[in-house]
Amino acid sequence: MKEISYVIKDPLGIHARTAGLLIKEMQKFSSVLTIFRGNDSCDGKRLLALMKMRVKTGETIVIKAEGLDEDAAVKAAADFLAANL
Amino acid sequence: MADGKKLFSRLVDLLSGGGGGSKGCGNADNILASPLTGKIVPLQSVKDEAFSSGVLGVGIAVEPENGVLKAPCNGTVDSIPEGKHAVTLIADNGAELLIHIGMDTVGLNGAPFTVKVKDGQKVKKGDTLIEFDIEAIKSAGLETVTPIVVANADDFAEVAATDAEHIEAGDALLTLKKKVWRTK
Repeated sequence: MKEISYVIKDPLGIHARTAGLLIKEMQKFSSVLTIFRGNDSCDGKRLLALMKMRVKTGETIVIKAEGLDEDAAVKAAADFLAANL
Repeated sequence: MADGKKLFSRLVDLLSGGGGGSKGCGNADNILASPLTGKIVPLQSVKDEAFSSGVLGVGIAVEPENGVLKAPCNGTVDSIPEGKHAVTLIADNGAELLIHIGMDTVGLNGAPFTVKVKDGQKVKKGDTLIEFDIEAIKSAGLETVTPIVVANADDFAEVAATDAEHIEAGDALLTLKKKVWRTK
């Protein structure tokens, strides 16, 4: 299992478009991906679940990956977050 | 996991050929009605790349002629973002829907939108979900074109859109075909 942590800097938080792009990135991997914010968590490959978390700017999310490509998955997540959120 | 039960009931649904308690609709179970009256716009023509490229899901868009967004099917409101400019729904047939009113409208901070439903609320096809002020969106310099997409299109064999050029709210907009067997 691998994980990364990231503080959201986009003033709008994770809204529909960025949620969609992140999910699309995560769907490229076979690993099980989970996104955590505090005690909340969601399936990192389902758009509606991520939108429902309403992640705001300044909040910390943790993305955990478990599977054969977990290293590549958390690296892709970290790169995406740094570039877009 | 809490989702286990839901997943199981969905699987049972799939194996039993759908239904899932939504009685009396027959094939209507797999039809998503237009939430709006207006001109049909192909998703590829929408100016937001996240929609036009299909990243957010498979579907179509409507250029609305009036500011009433209705439920496209029986289902449950999953969430409404703080900006009140969109709604996600879980249809009784398992489709996960995102309806996004206008482009870049997240920046309006909710002003032109009046939300009529709550997270978790059960809705029936035709129920009003959100009312919105078309002129207020346009005068903010934004487009009102509204994509309706199936976010979990991979769970279906096909998502087919109407070939009409104009549609009335309540008429068939998208038709979903269920997979015969779950392959994932």
